[in-house]
Amino acid sequence: MTGTDWGFASDLDDVSGQIAIVGVGDADHSKASGRTTYEIAGQAAERALADAGLTARDVDGLMYVPFSGDQMDAKAFHAHFGTSHDLWTSDRGGGMVWAGSAPYDAALAIRSGKAKYVLNTFSVAWATQRPQMVGGPGHVHAEDLYKQNLEVPFGWFPQPVYFANMATRHMHEYGTTSEQLGAIAVACRRHANLTPGAVMKDKLLTLEQYLASPLVADPFRKEDCCLISDGGAAYVMTSLERARDLKQPIIAVLGVGVGNAKSGVYWSQQGDFTATPQQFAAPRSFAMAGVKPDDVDVLACYDPFTIVSLMQIEDMGFCAKGDGGKFVSGDTLHFDSGKLPYNTHGGMLSHAYVLGIAHVTEIVRQLRGEAAAQVNNAAIGVYGGYTGPQASTLVLGRR
Amino acid sequence: MHAAFPLPDVDWPPTRELFAGAARGELRVTRCNLCATLVWYPSTPCRTCGAERQEWVTVSGRGTLFSWSVVRFPWIPQFKSIVPFVTGLVALEEDPRVRLVSRIVDCPIDDLRCDMPLEVDFRPLRFDGVDGEVVVPLFRPERR
Ligand SMILES: [Zn+2]
Repeated sequence: MTGTDWGFASDLDDVSGQIAIVGVGDADHSKASGRTTYEIAGQAAERALADAGLTARDVDGLMYVPFSGDQMDAKAFHAHFGTSHDLWTSDRGGGMVWAGSAPYDAALAIRSGKAKYVLNTFSVAWATQRPQMVGGPGHVHAEDLYKQNLEVPFGWFPQPVYFANMATRHMHEYGTTSEQLGAIAVACRRHANLTPGAVMKDKLLTLEQYLASPLVADPFRKEDCCLISDGGAAYVMTSLERARDLKQPIIAVLGVGVGNAKSGVYWSQQGDFTATPQQFAAPRSFAMAGVKPDDVDVLACYDPFTIVSLMQIEDMGFCAKGDGGKFVSGDTLHFDSGKLPYNTHGGMLSHAYVLGIAHVTEIVRQLRGEAAAQVNNAAIGVYGGYTGPQASTLVLGRR
Repeated sequence: MHAAFPLPDVDWPPTRELFAGAARGELRVTRCNLCATLVWYPSTPCRTCGAERQEWVTVSGRGTLFSWSVVRFPWIPQFKSIVPFVTGLVALEEDPRVRLVSRIVDCPIDDLRCDMPLEVDFRPLRFDGVDGEVVVPLFRPERR
């Protein structure tokens, strides 16, 4: 079943041009490091505030996500910075889909006077926690009783298997090939090779090496799947007026869109199995921003698997549905292609698996002109967030 | 996680009848009481009309292979003794919007194709290091 009755867009107010991202900070991204999520978020927050020229006392709004381990809530923020002032808080922040939609909630809070400077953080220590088999990406799925009884016994678990099934069907419906999936992995790796701090900075990957590597869950190879990392990032938002008084170039929030799948976390029943709710999110966000896919200079999408990149690129309208394989082949996604530079820090496949928050900090750096794999004169950048049940599209622009 | 994980918990009410039916050799799914469309997963609201009440019905056990993956890497330790295996989605003949998650058996990997006809086969599921077994609906190429 295709069509659009399998999901819907959230109704959002127009917040275009009302706030800006004025500071970004990445924590150190790594394999198992022994760090806690609080330490990681604290480091990212310190760096984002220094980047903005602000102090912890200036922050009066805090966004985080209530799951994915111990995130930086008000208590953790004050413990880290030794502060005690009042904070507006929201649990609609963090990474994944919320790394793209947090600016919407921040804009509402800022324009209604609830907060002036809003900090959004997200951190993971999944590489450190992996030996205990707790807290990792498969854990939350294994605890779902429907998955426990209708999916796991049949080996349909964890996430690589769901998305391998999507890739198989995408190949069947549209003729997508392994070479085309490999082109995504290779572009992301090349970007990571150029990016200081990327977990895969020193590991090269050619298409030949990709195709020669063993299958883990057909049609996926290891390189189709994201890393498991310790790391995190943070960004600071404020009104456009206040942004003018700060030290960084103004990177404005131009559009936000959120899309939803009615099937929720049960991908097996998703009406259009080879699509993402970007079909619903992206048109709304682009309309709010007054831009077209053609106007986008640099794109970063939440990329747990190559096929998720490919489907989002299609669903956001950068090519026709089904043409994603042809579109991404060759150098299209490379930072210096002049076409659609994509995940220019390496994404979750090759930079770090910090669930999209570092995608947003990368887009901001691209628009400032200070990224490692810098796209020439990037003025409009887009982040595509994804959880499965939801997708978000965040359009940012240099002012 | 219940003790026999990753075996299904045959006592969990929403899916109990699936496994009870399998033990009798019947493929059971739920049907909306209001609009009569098949509803999967059981006890979730009907996606056609939104109603929440359903009854269990027996279906033919025929369907097509909507998608699949050959799992070669054991993502959890209990899968070590069964890799490689084929896990996928079976679109039911009665309503292909309903996709059962199952394993595909008796089919060489090179013969797997999307939309190939399949039929149910009820077999006991066992995992190394896990006590007990549960009869579940698996699928094999249709024997014409
Ligand atoms: Zn109904």
